[in-house]
Amino acid sequence: MNNHLYRKIAFFPILTVLFMANNSCEPLATSFREVEDAIIYTKEQKILPPQPDSTLKVMTWNIRFGIGRQPWFGDACGDNTVFRKDEVIPGLEKIVARINQVRPDILFLQECDVKSNRTAYIDELQYILDHTYFNYAAYVSEWKSEFIPSDGLARMDMGLVILSPWPLTDAKRINLAPRGDQAGIVNYFYLHSCIVTANVKIPGFKEIPLLNIHASAFATDDTKKKHFEEFKAEMDKLDAEGKYFVSGGDLNELPPGSDSTDYCYEDMCPGESFHQPGDDPMHKDGSNYTPETEWLRPIYDAYVCAFPLPEYQQNQPAYFTHTTRPDHSWDRTLDYLFTNHRWRKGSAITHQDFLTESDHAPVSAEFVLVKE
Amino acid sequence: MIRKLIVSISLLCFAGILHAQEEPLLKKWSYNTAYLMPERKWESGILQPFRYGINRKLEVYTHVPMLPFIPEAGVKVAWGNKNTFVLASEHSLSVPTPFLNIVSRKGIGGLISPEYDFAFILSVYNGLLVTKPIAPKVLFSAKAGLAFAIRAEKPDPQSTIDLPVFYPRMAHYYEGTSIRFGTAVKGSLGEKWFYEEGVQAFIITRPENNFFFENTGTLMWAAGKSFRIRGGYILAYGKYPYVTPKWQLWPTLDFVFGSR
Repeated sequence: MNNHLYRKIAFFPILTVLFMANNSCEPLATSFREVEDAIIYTKEQKILPPQPDSTLKVMTWNIRFGIGRQPWFGDACGDNTVFRKDEVIPGLEKIVARINQVRPDILFLQECDVKSNRTAYIDELQYILDHTYFNYAAYVSEWKSEFIPSDGLARMDMGLVILSPWPLTDAKRINLAPRGDQAGIVNYFYLHSCIVTANVKIPGFKEIPLLNIHASAFATDDTKKKHFEEFKAEMDKLDAEGKYFVSGGDLNELPPGSDSTDYCYEDMCPGESFHQPGDDPMHKDGSNYTPETEWLRPIYDAYVCAFPLPEYQQNQPAYFTHTTRPDHSWDRTLDYLFTNHRWRKGSAITHQDFLTESDHAPVSAEFVLVKE
Repeated sequence: MIRKLIVSISLLCFAGILHAQEEPLLKKWSYNTAYLMPERKWESGILQPFRYGINRKLEVYTHVPMLPFIPEAGVKVAWGNKNTFVLASEHSLSVPTPFLNIVSRKGIGGLISPEYDFAFILSVYNGLLVTKPIAPKVLFSAKAGLAFAIRAEKPDPQSTIDLPVFYPRMAHYYEGTSIRFGTAVKGSLGEKWFYEEGVQAFIITRPENNFFFENTGTLMWAAGKSFRIRGGYILAYGKYPYVTPKWQLWPTLDFVFGSR
């Protein structure tokens, strides 16, 4: 073999590398297209789906990646980033027990981890699917990175889910506006809010489009307002097509007319200071809703909330669904269900007794089915 | 497919046996071969270790930029020639504890979750190197070695840095012994240009996350008599804690300088 041949064959690995780079390697953080297909999970041994007679019970729940009320550095003044398997599995067991207790027909989840470092690389969606009566799930990532070099987060895949005993079709991920108040490199590794959509067909009834959203929690500019406009635009599209939809999720926003709109003190961690002269920032990120009080009004005006606004305004604490403080009860409403059709009267429940499973209480209601 | 690819790249690096005029190549790039730095000569890079030739039998090395974070000292010992084979051994000690505690932090740069504290770890590596000129201006090298750790306390298995390149080199800090072997071919493409193509495998003696493979390709430009620029890639395959084995491609860049 001569030197010339060595030089020639040196190109082989280069071609191999180019092939691998094109086909098998992932970037450090995932960027998303405007619309892309969701990932469909299915249960191996299917369970016979129920046959509803007139209503469909729908529930939305931000499950806080199965860590319950444990202090996490990102949202509860905690120091911990990473949780062990023996800390996450009991959290998932509790969530699954509650799901099986309420038994919604359709379940919207937010903050479900799939093989993330912080939750011991457990595929939480597969766990929930395997331990409940659901047969199908549509999953979209909202925060996906091979390695986040900050706070020990490392590998992250957190997303939104729609679970159903019936097949889900046309499942999509709809990207929402990126945060406008973040530097480019931070935004590159940060979560990208989105909506997961899918259609479900129950025998004897019209097909129902489903929309599950997780809006930005910490944006301090008008990013969240854009998310609500984009969410409403999706609902408007379906409404214009004459379809009856169910939408909901964690909107990270208070209902219009809320008495308390600034939670900086409630959410303040030791060593932090807000509202004092010289404080910068003056408000804690994601805790001051005062400039945003009317941002959900257009959705309320156009569609039917499981909890109508007058009901909420009469007794607000009864509808609270969230708190950041591990040892406190719910102190604000962030989770919603909407439709352009009807909810069965009196069917809506804020499950405030589910105090230890997550930092959000689930909300359920019965959607009135439309016969074919 | 993956196995075929690994075998193909390995075969490439084993190919052919011919004689050589390797002198200019060795002057510029003896790193990663069984040849030592000449007596009283030194060279260093940002990633490549600082190397200094004590005498014809002994070379010392350490990673200078990383020294405050990973104190390390190593020696390369020449064992002479056997036919046309050049033999050497490498022995090094390093203490990665300061580095692990520095990157276990809040905020940017936190590669490991801040709740972990690392106790004393001493990493020990012993390896053998053999080099043979196989063509004019072409050297073939093979190496094999063992890395193990002496620990004051076993680190939490969730405190690993689950990244290609990092993970396989740090795996033995946590559990098992790391068995490493690889081959490389390097040669010159003229007076100022050099190349290296190599493969390396890591087998960790434990039941999970225990196999890693790397293919590296590097081009080096001798910009001056004592300054060289190296760039290339590492194509890494491995079984990481998140189960799905995968390929990752990383770019490499280094600046090497030293005695004329």
